[in-house]
Amino acid sequence: MIKDVLRDIGGIGLYGVISVCLFFVVFTTAAVRALAMRRQTAEEAGRLPLTDDASPSPKPSHE
Amino acid sequence: MKIETFSYDNRIVRAFAIATLVWGLVGFLAGLLAAVQLFWPAANLNLAYTTFGRLRPLHTNVVIFAFVGNGMFTGIYYSLQRLCKARMFSDRLSWVNFWGWNGIIVAAAVTLPLGLTTSKEYAELEWPIDIAIAVVWVAFCINLFGTIIKRREKHLYVAIWFYIATAITVAVLHIGNSLAVPAGWFKSYSIYAGVQDALMQWWYGHNAVAFFLTTPYLGLMYYFLPKAANRPVFSYRLSIIHFWALVFLYIWAGPHHLLYTSLPDWAQSLGMVFSVMLVAPSWGGMINGLLTLRGAWDKVRQEPMLKFMVVALTAYGMATLEGPLLSIKSVNALSHYTDWTIAHVHTGALGWNGFLTFSMLYWLFPRLYNTKLHSVKLANWHFWLGLLGIMFYAVPMYWAGVTQGLMWKEFTPEGFLRYPNFLETVLQIVPMYRLRAVGGTLYIIGSAIGVWNLYKTAKSGKFIPDVEVQAPALVRAAPPAGKRGHRWLESKPVLFSIFTAVAILVGGLVEVIPMYLIRSNVPTISSVKPYTPLEVIGRDIYIREGCVGCHSQMIRPFRSETERYGDYSKSGEFIFDHPFLWGSKRTGPDLHRLGGKYPDAWHFNHMEDPRSTSPGSIMPPYPWLLEQKLDTNSLPARLKALRRVGVPYPDGFEHGPAQADLAAQSARIVANLAQGSIINHPPDTEIIALIAYMQRLGTDAKAAPADAPEVAAITPEPALP
Repeated sequence: MIKDVLRDIGGIGLYGVISVCLFFVVFTTAAVRALAMRRQTAEEAGRLPLTDDASPSPKPSHE
Repeated sequence: MKIETFSYDNRIVRAFAIATLVWGLVGFLAGLLAAVQLFWPAANLNLAYTTFGRLRPLHTNVVIFAFVGNGMFTGIYYSLQRLCKARMFSDRLSWVNFWGWNGIIVAAAVTLPLGLTTSKEYAELEWPIDIAIAVVWVAFCINLFGTIIKRREKHLYVAIWFYIATAITVAVLHIGNSLAVPAGWFKSYSIYAGVQDALMQWWYGHNAVAFFLTTPYLGLMYYFLPKAANRPVFSYRLSIIHFWALVFLYIWAGPHHLLYTSLPDWAQSLGMVFSVMLVAPSWGGMINGLLTLRGAWDKVRQEPMLKFMVVALTAYGMATLEGPLLSIKSVNALSHYTDWTIAHVHTGALGWNGFLTFSMLYWLFPRLYNTKLHSVKLANWHFWLGLLGIMFYAVPMYWAGVTQGLMWKEFTPEGFLRYPNFLETVLQIVPMYRLRAVGGTLYIIGSAIGVWNLYKTAKSGKFIPDVEVQAPALVRAAPPAGKRGHRWLESKPVLFSIFTAVAILVGGLVEVIPMYLIRSNVPTISSVKPYTPLEVIGRDIYIREGCVGCHSQMIRPFRSETERYGDYSKSGEFIFDHPFLWGSKRTGPDLHRLGGKYPDAWHFNHMEDPRSTSPGSIMPPYPWLLEQKLDTNSLPARLKALRRVGVPYPDGFEHGPAQADLAAQSARIVANLAQGSIINHPPDTEIIALIAYMQRLGTDAKAAPADAPEVAAITPEPALP
């Protein structure tokens, strides 16, 4: 069912290099984007779970 | 600004939470029963259905997909509504998700003990159930993305990114690995064979750990930890970096499950390097979680939920440091196939998933029922018993793994294996198996106390089915020019999902596609032929009984393995193996060169009572194989399906010639048995087919000419630590 198409695998050493380069691009982009974010914006974003005040606080425990 | 009134659906959260607790106990108990059988084989209750090979996949499936799966849905359905400030997109889809998912679990709990399995780890369920999984997952995805689309909060919080990554990746993995051709309602053959099937399976298997056990739970951690600590996550910026690095890297790491196997070296190396790199984003998540508690550690002493969360994060950190360590080839050479792997996965499963689940539930139940936790004291008992349970589980397994791994590799000064009999190395670690069962028992007792505590909590309060809230409607406006940073991306769910899909697809495609397209990856061996009809049935019995759970069929190119088992395994030997049966654990010896090693009568006696041929063996007996009749009616369908996946049986072979071939080979085995004083055994019993398969194992390569195209040489043993 799965057919062989190519006869050989050439330049296999390049696979690792390309793969690590791809990761470097992704990582650098994410890091630059994250570090470029204003501190206030990041703090606001981090507080999102604390602003959904719909869930009632439980009563204090007996113990 | 228009204020809208709406309500959160707590009913679906409660349903998933209850299912989590029930399935958790079932899964833990199945694990304990399986563990006990490893030092007391009679604990299989003398039933095929509860024997280790069938029980082990039941345990893993229930714990992963029922306990963690329902736990994941509990947390997602609770937090997603609140983070999006919107009720779920469709209540009906929510219930389709709940009943569909739990129906699938019930189907698994019925079919796996019956031996209906594909044998591929964590993907054992047969094709009709696989289709059901795909349908239910699509329902979940529609509900997830529908809720995100109709949200009232502009920005997607980091927890939701992890939910998106989970939804997309699990769909891709499940479909990719489950492709098979049916041979009846409950039998199918993977479209992939041998080394290609192995790569696909572990691309799936590793990422099931990544995107089912890790990413959704990281999302839950990012929501519930700040809630419980009442402070924002330590670093939102770190969460951005760690999210993208994690989803990009994880998908590459699958081949670390196949180090030193017949998988081409380039794929092994890629898997190893990316696995080692994974430690950084994994620890980014752990550090972000633990540092969220800075200045709030006093709360950890008083709040059971935080105690569980801290241990969960610590276990996550340990497991994600150890994972990359085990992916280093020289370490893997010692650890692979041993109980070291079992210790590793249970640190993650019991600590990270188990404790995080209970942490979340201890926080949720008082809120769902508008009451207080029934007993903090009982929660503390649960915590300490659970923690002790993890210790008593993991430490003996590390001990057993390292001990056995070293024993397998030890040579005498004269150059012979110090422990040539595999059984010697098993008997050495049986005490550790007993201790492991103690650990599991402690963990289960703690969990039962937890379930009782949560039940009493629910009884003491009044359930709030709908929580009415108000929030302003979402205003959709274009960002100011030049403001298209990550925060902007967080307000674009479709674009965000596309980026996530690309991140997870790149690694998969780079690794998987060349394996299927490039012929030199799997050198063929001319003497390797398809299995005979009797061997096909025997192989399916081997699959049904879960033999692959304890026996590998992959001899690594180490002298310690070639001395013990025979010539190392070559990828060309597996081209007709749909599915591959390399295994991942050696509770018993490797079987790849078993063919011709013992007479047929030895196998007969061994399967009837393993201790009659191997005194002290912990293998279960299989007396039913001596009585159950061969299912030859389904043989045409099986051969036809195998032909469709690429095995070159001639057209029409399945009708007349196959049955004649089967009868002739059965008769030969019956004659062989007679030479071993097993007289007149019926030729149409399952043991005959199983013997045929086992006697075939690894024999084709022995017939290969000396100039066979395989070129790899024996790999020098890595220096042991």
